[in-house]
Amino acid sequence: MAKIIVTTSGKGGVGKTTTSASFSTGLAARGKKVAVIDFDVGLRNLDLIMGCERRVVFDFVNVLQGEANLRQALIRDKTYENLSILAASQTRDKDALTLEGVEKVLNDLVAEGFEYIICDSPAGIEKGAHHAMYFADEALIVTNPEVSSVRDSDRVLGLLQAKTRNAEKGIKVKEHLVLTRYNPERVERGEMLSVKDVQDILAIPLLGVIPESPTVLTSSNSGVPVIADAMSAAGQAYTDLVSRFLGEDKPHRFMHVEKKGFFNKLFGG
Amino acid sequence: MARTTAALELKGRMLSATRIRVLDAAPDAIASHLADLKRQMPQALKGMVAVLESDLPLDLPALLAALREAGIQPVGVADGALTAAAVKAGLAVLPKDTRPRAAEPAPAPAAPAPTTAQEASRRSTRVITEPVRSGQQIYAEDADLVVLSAVSPGAEVIADGCVHVYGPLRGRALAGARGDDKARVFARRFEAELVAIAGVYAVADQIKNAKNGEATQAYLQHGKLVIEPLH
Repeated sequence: MAKIIVTTSGKGGVGKTTTSASFSTGLAARGKKVAVIDFDVGLRNLDLIMGCERRVVFDFVNVLQGEANLRQALIRDKTYENLSILAASQTRDKDALTLEGVEKVLNDLVAEGFEYIICDSPAGIEKGAHHAMYFADEALIVTNPEVSSVRDSDRVLGLLQAKTRNAEKGIKVKEHLVLTRYNPERVERGEMLSVKDVQDILAIPLLGVIPESPTVLTSSNSGVPVIADAMSAAGQAYTDLVSRFLGEDKPHRFMHVEKKGFFNKLFGG
Repeated sequence: MARTTAALELKGRMLSATRIRVLDAAPDAIASHLADLKRQMPQALKGMVAVLESDLPLDLPALLAALREAGIQPVGVADGALTAAAVKAGLAVLPKDTRPRAAEPAPAPAAPAPTTAQEASRRSTRVITEPVRSGQQIYAEDADLVVLSAVSPGAEVIADGCVHVYGPLRGRALAGARGDDKARVFARRFEAELVAIAGVYAVADQIKNAKNGEATQAYLQHGKLVIEPLH
């Protein structure tokens, strides 16, 4: 059974697209057939982060409006041929989205044999976000450890359990917390909410904590999802997150301040 | 495929309305009182939604005209002397105010029957097991409300009866939404943004008595909101 997963947050700039890119790449690396759709019509970003912006011919809106078929619009990832990207249109706006159209695209993707369909939601709770979450079976709630992001995630969680197809049928959308830009030092200094604080408010299961890392920015700029950087903490954290999503028991890491070793102290590492 | 373009959407909404009780049906007396009110609080009258109450027979169309002249929007009348005229004027007829008046003497013990009848007509308690998220509003009409999970900041839980929250209460809780001043709010972990009983409210900044996160109750005592720890 194919799974439709929405990456959402309410607030902008918390790492939704970064998470969609790494999550879909991670699933593909585990041999799954994955499609990732950019729902941010008018502000397309996913193709940049996935490094395929120079290969976009047709986009999601072209498919919705019957100007191209799905196979023409799907862009195959350079590294994993079982990973496909459906880019957003940069020239249209979110009025181009209709629930009937989105449903048809999702059904066609399922018919093509995709096992995981990741819907990368735009920020906000308006039309784009509504369409991205409407058909979801599961949701990655991307949250930064700060009050306004947590508040917005809480709002989105309410919408997920009220304004989605599953909710209308009385089925609960499965929720996963992805806490991004986590900085244990700042948590210790009381400048950031801790994992516990966030979980206390949102009360949903924690899928992964992604540490704040300069690698995330350099990866985005170079069009390589951060999960591909096995040396970086953020990359490792996303790899763990994917394993956990697939049901493996991986202890959480990167939640506490690393004790500096002797050499690190000596050389100021 | 769910239909996305229904013609109507029904939403339960609380509306605060002012009850205007006619004590003297003489048009002159009413006109001069309205003029006084208009001078004292012009902003409050402007657009005020009002339900009229009268035991005296009076000329309803004339009263409506006078009220509208003052900026008030009469939307209905309380069932009674005005009912027939209201139907004619196309106004809503609402049940009489059931709020027990504090000034009224305690009812004689010989008359417990109406109370029982009233209680029997109450709906059963509404129980919410899922978290109430920011932006959500839960209203238990004519009933108590029990929330077993958290009420997030930016969420509202409202009941015509009492509100009980067994998770952390971080949003707004309003008990006695239709004027029952015996209603109370109970919270096991009290961190509310606002609590209100029968329209008397306090925001977080005004709540000094309650320690954050403690088991707390809120109730009205002589018309004043009391918020104190539960022991």
